[in-house]
Amino acid sequence: MTTPEQDQEFVTLVSGDGYEFILPRSTACISKTLRMMFDPLSKFSEALTGRCVLENISGEVLEKVCEYLCYNEKNKDQVNVPDMEIPPELCLELLMAADYLDV
Amino acid sequence: MAMRARQRIRAPRRGLTANKGDDFETNWADLSTSLKKIHTKDASNLSFEQLYRNSYNIVLMMRGEDLYERIKKLEQDWLDDEVKTRVTAAISSSLLLAKELAEVQDQANERREAGERFLAAMREAFEDHQLCMGMITDVLMYMDRVMSTDHRKPSIYAAAMALFRDHVLRSPIRSDAKTTVVDVLESTILFMIQLERSGQIIDRPLISHCVTMLEGLYETITEEESSKLYLTLFEPAFLDASKRFYQAEGRRLLETGDAATFCKVATDRLAEETERCMYTLASSTAPKIKEVLDRELIENNIAEVVNLEGTGVRQMLDNDRLDSLRSIYVLSARVDPKKSPLTTAVQKRIVEMGKEINAGAVELAQTPAEPKKPADKGEKAKKPAEKEKPVNQQTAAAIKWVDDILGLKKKFDNIWEDSFQSDHVMQSAITTSFSEFINSESRSSEYLSLFFDENLKKGIKGKTETEVDSLLDNGITLLRYVKDKDMFEAYYKKHLSRRLLMKRSVSMDAERQMISKMKLEVGNQFTQRLEAMFKDMTISEDLTASYKEHAKKTGDPNTKRIDLDINVLTSTMWPMEIMASATRDNVQLGCIYPKEVESVKQSFEQYYLGKHSGRKLSWQPTMGTADIRLEFPRSNGKIQRHELNVSTYAMVILLLFNDVPTGEFLTYTDIKERTRITDHDLIRNLQALAVAQKTRVLRKEPMSRDVKSTDKFFFNNDFQSPFLKVRIGVVSGSANKVESQDQRKETEKKMSEERGASIEAAIVRIMKQRKSLTHSKLMTEVLSQLSARFVPDVNMIKKRIESLIDREYLERVEEDPPTYGYVA
Repeated sequence: MTTPEQDQEFVTLVSGDGYEFILPRSTACISKTLRMMFDPLSKFSEALTGRCVLENISGEVLEKVCEYLCYNEKNKDQVNVPDMEIPPELCLELLMAADYLDV
Repeated sequence: MAMRARQRIRAPRRGLTANKGDDFETNWADLSTSLKKIHTKDASNLSFEQLYRNSYNIVLMMRGEDLYERIKKLEQDWLDDEVKTRVTAAISSSLLLAKELAEVQDQANERREAGERFLAAMREAFEDHQLCMGMITDVLMYMDRVMSTDHRKPSIYAAAMALFRDHVLRSPIRSDAKTTVVDVLESTILFMIQLERSGQIIDRPLISHCVTMLEGLYETITEEESSKLYLTLFEPAFLDASKRFYQAEGRRLLETGDAATFCKVATDRLAEETERCMYTLASSTAPKIKEVLDRELIENNIAEVVNLEGTGVRQMLDNDRLDSLRSIYVLSARVDPKKSPLTTAVQKRIVEMGKEINAGAVELAQTPAEPKKPADKGEKAKKPAEKEKPVNQQTAAAIKWVDDILGLKKKFDNIWEDSFQSDHVMQSAITTSFSEFINSESRSSEYLSLFFDENLKKGIKGKTETEVDSLLDNGITLLRYVKDKDMFEAYYKKHLSRRLLMKRSVSMDAERQMISKMKLEVGNQFTQRLEAMFKDMTISEDLTASYKEHAKKTGDPNTKRIDLDINVLTSTMWPMEIMASATRDNVQLGCIYPKEVESVKQSFEQYYLGKHSGRKLSWQPTMGTADIRLEFPRSNGKIQRHELNVSTYAMVILLLFNDVPTGEFLTYTDIKERTRITDHDLIRNLQALAVAQKTRVLRKEPMSRDVKSTDKFFFNNDFQSPFLKVRIGVVSGSANKVESQDQRKETEKKMSEERGASIEAAIVRIMKQRKSLTHSKLMTEVLSQLSARFVPDVNMIKKRIESLIDREYLERVEEDPPTYGYVA
């Protein structure tokens, strides 16, 4: 069990094939799905533990997702941000993940 | 690498459909058990991700609609089976007596407890539902996104709320009953509010929660602002109940019959309802409930409250209940910007009090108003001392009248400032009433002028400048109310002239101040003549001085014996009464002056006419005074000297006795022949000299109060007085007093003549400017032009127009509408 402080600061995302990514809560909450998942008001296990297993996303894709989330967080207040580099072979899977996570 | 990646793109997708395609039921089974767990608050073991993925998968399988419907069904079953039973179980039978207002105390208590239980259950059910639905919605977010955007369905949350509304609130409490849960809820909340209104403490947060619930539910699925259940169901019921409550309360308060209590309760209720709306109900209701209060409690009752016998506005005014007046004002102001009941009551009271003052003045002044015609010689001379008293009393009454009114005015000014928040409508109402009753007393202008007279003569002695200032200001305030300002001017002129000529005024500064105040208040035209009178006085002073200078130079021996102070008055500027006596004297041949005086008179006439050619001097002995030194040889051989200040006529009479040896006498007829003083003046002066107790310079035979033509007059050598200087006033002539009936008639006649002239002047002025004007327009213009001075009588204006047409100043231009033209 994590302490509430950790709960506040960081969340852990786990990919379907077992990779773990630890992100600041605010960064993760750019995704609406994740935000609801970690909403402290909801009583689901994810909110209580701060750990979420995303079974249908592979580690490779989740890494890219996390990269995007950080990238978004970093540049959120700026304009004319250059596009993030996306490897074309991941395109479709990333799109599906984006749809799933609602980013 | 790239190749592998591309292959992997397809793989999961195929896998998804392949794996889960026929798996809808499994997915749903998973999901539904989880959802039930959520409802039973057993969610901590559930993985959000798992549930989310479940619904995600189902939607991807294009079974979203099925899922939506199933969830709805699930919720409905849940609400029907579980929530409803719980809620209805909390409804106890005592709550069903909703329609009967609980009068019996124990029943009320019981009901109250039951109500609280029910409300608590209700709140719990709703809060649970809200929480669960929040979680479920979160889990089903993916479905919601697809369903509400692609299929235009309301979000599952809204749908679930609607289900709650339909299946819990709208469900009958028992299978056979018609009453629904929401009805019970409504009546319970109303009952609670009722309890609070009657002074008990209720669980406000509880009610507040239930109200929030109603606010959170909508009539329709589209959730428009106006279709909140609170607005459609509860608020009307609440307002209706409040209406009935306040109607009853209004009646009850009226029955107790205390206006002050009414005001207090009403004010308290207003605050209470506002607070209730803030803390218990929705703040949007506040203006509505206030409106109900305004209408039911205040507007319908305020008139009666204002007029309540014994405690209404009248008593408040009488007893200076400023607080009560203030609250009644505030209440009235809420419902009616004109505050008509209150203003009427205040006005009525002012007029009443004013009438009392008027009546008081009349009562005080009640004397058998005997006409003072000069012809009534016998009657007039009978009891001068007694006659003087009532006249003085009348004057006192006049002054008291003014003082009373000033007191009243001050009182109402106070009330107006303190209680009516300096409201303009109230001010004008008060002003109107004041002018109404002041003008209802026909002698108001005269009284007011007397008031000034009195104050300028004695009242301001020993007062500071500011006191004098405020005193005069007060008077001026009353002048503002007087409509017939020309009447006031006439009286003021008369009184002023007496003050000036008899040198009775205490302070010329105060007089000037007064004039300038009047000028400010009424206008230039009004004070023109008054100022001219002052000018005459100053010119006369210079004239006297320069005449004395002149006399010294010419070496006229007489000037050594007689000092002449002269006042030359412009006849048009001074009051008519004084000038009128001039014309009378001319007819009768002026009074014969003793030769010493005559020579001085002629010398002055020469001097004056030499300076100003083409003028005519007429002498006014009635207005003059003389200082003469008298020697009284006593029987013991001593000689007693006195300096007497007497009227001009008395001087003339006394000088006659210079030629009369001691012991001899003059009869009335003798004196009359030798002086040619009119009967009226002669009698008055002889009375002063021979009848009045302290100033008996002459002895009369027989000793009686009347002066008859056969009376004999002796010089009184035994005249006694403790003072060296003695002032002998003329009986009823010098002091400014209330006029007798005849004098009044006279003044009024003159007034109406003068008004006629003013009206004609106004008509001509207007017509000259406009050339042609309809009758009605001319009327309004004339009225507005003259209103500063007096209120003209419409008939009089008509007559004047006729007369101007006859004299060919005007002509009739048209008949319909009647129009006049100006004839140049």
